[in-house]
Amino acid sequence: MRRSGIKENINKAVVVSGLVKNFEVLEKGARNIDRIKSLLKPKKKVVTALKGISFSIGKGELVGFIGANGAGKTTTMKILSGLLYPTAGFVQVLGFNPWDRKREFLKRISLVMGQKNQLWWDLPAIDTLELNRAIYEIPHLTFKKVLDELVEILDVKDLLTTPVRKLSLGQRMRFELIAALIHQPEVLFLDEPTIGLDVVGQQAIRDFIYQYNRKFSATVMLTSHNMSDLVDLTKRVIVIDKGEIVFDGKLTDLITNYAKEKIIKIYFSGDVNIGSLEKICKIRRYAYPEAVISVDRSLAAFTAAELLQNFPVADITIEEEGIESIVRRVFRGEAVNG
Amino acid sequence: MVRLTMYKYFQVGKTSLKQEIAYPINFVMWRVRNIIQILLVLFLWDSLISDPRKVLFGYSRDMILTYIFGIMLVRAFVLSSKSMDVAGEVARGELSNYLIRPVNYFFYWLSRDFASKVLNLSFVFVEFSLLFLILRPDFFFQTNIFYIGFFIFSVFIGILIYTLFLFITSSVTFWMPEMGWGAHFLLNVVLVEFLSGVLFPLDILPQAIQKVINFLPLPYLVYFPLQIYLGKQSTYELVRGFVVEIFWLGALALFLNFIWKKGLKVYESQGR
Repeated sequence: MRRSGIKENINKAVVVSGLVKNFEVLEKGARNIDRIKSLLKPKKKVVTALKGISFSIGKGELVGFIGANGAGKTTTMKILSGLLYPTAGFVQVLGFNPWDRKREFLKRISLVMGQKNQLWWDLPAIDTLELNRAIYEIPHLTFKKVLDELVEILDVKDLLTTPVRKLSLGQRMRFELIAALIHQPEVLFLDEPTIGLDVVGQQAIRDFIYQYNRKFSATVMLTSHNMSDLVDLTKRVIVIDKGEIVFDGKLTDLITNYAKEKIIKIYFSGDVNIGSLEKICKIRRYAYPEAVISVDRSLAAFTAAELLQNFPVADITIEEEGIESIVRRVFRGEAVNG
Repeated sequence: MVRLTMYKYFQVGKTSLKQEIAYPINFVMWRVRNIIQILLVLFLWDSLISDPRKVLFGYSRDMILTYIFGIMLVRAFVLSSKSMDVAGEVARGELSNYLIRPVNYFFYWLSRDFASKVLNLSFVFVEFSLLFLILRPDFFFQTNIFYIGFFIFSVFIGILIYTLFLFITSSVTFWMPEMGWGAHFLLNVVLVEFLSGVLFPLDILPQAIQKVINFLPLPYLVYFPLQIYLGKQSTYELVRGFVVEIFWLGALALFLNFIWKKGLKVYESQGR
């Protein structure tokens, strides 16, 4: 492969600086009379979706982009792939200004949106893929080789000639990915690639993204509401909230920054008075003989001692808050550096 | 490079054709409907003007029949377009699918459209021959090869102009997503129906009005090609017609390019 062997590269695949995107929203009002008024005298409201964000991504990096709904993740990806015109700021992808949508640029990137499809509904997937071969001007031999490889990894070889409308969502999503990757893009923007899939399907897509990133040294930017996607795939995450970047760094750092509480698991050896337990800590789950409680980090040792002294404890463990529950809190839009 | 680009759009057309015949029964029903429509119109006019010596607005019986039949044919080619749903694709954000790929959206639809027209044409040819052999209607056959050549050329430009019309009216949806259909209806249905010669031959209008209309792009969609076929255009009219038509083709293409670029800047890629 032409891009293999690149390990460390000082070149950046994506550079974003002070990026602002405003949308004009027409206010229509809830009542019919308001809507008629808005027809005569439109009231426009400017919504700032991105408030001057800056970050960069190195070649071959796999970065997770997380945040609550409406935080600006998809908007950023759409600007990076040249779909939206930025209001202000500097954007560069592979040395190109995405907005120009130059042919050479488009041939080297791909954007996969979990809910948008490019496959022709009534035709077998192979027809869409053949069309993409022509559109991306891929030589026959390369096409065949890449296609064989992709259908092999995603295990959909036998379905190539089945009309797309007869495929299940999971199978269709795999072909969407193949269609988006048949031209071997160097930069891949994935917007919720596992949305709506069952656990097996999600795992297959995840493994595939991981392999693609490794094998082709491709730069991958991924948004997902699926915590496993992020935990399994990404080392670095960028957290965006209300159009601003609130965290950019290692996923493990996010966890230590964010984990303000520790989790204590206790196995009791006898009856417990829940009321008195509740006085000294927050109970997350209780099913005799096991209790899971959370306490402030600084109070963890103290609380543990207190528990051992006053309760019939058989076993006790102190743990960090799980990665998943932290990411879940990030999605809820809770402040990260609180 | 050019070869690869040609191949790209050839492949677009080919895929589009496959899609069109993916449901064979639908396809057959569509052809049957066409034949019935042709028969109905033919019988209606045939009985209305049964006297072969009668001349109506300077049209003899066989010319009227040919004009009416020609309208149906030319109209099916020029005023039907695959790119009818561009407004919908813009409003629904489906345009994004094309913008992220190295493909020109206008030529994409044009290729699909031409593929569809080639399919249509081949069936029309068979159906027409059969009908003609069975019914033997009084038709006017143009024998001058130049007129036939100019006729085909003007239909071709008519198709391009109408596609540009569709794209320009669809551009409205960049700013007003809910206005797409309204703009399309006003311009492409009402105006085109009136002034393209679909409802009546334009030369029955008063001279003064005709003079103005001749400088609009609309008569060149249906009326002008048919007049060429019927041999009713003088050399002067022919040259003037093509000059005006090609002027409009260029002007509309420039205008579309201008408005489309502006539209993309406010495009919101909605739907997600």
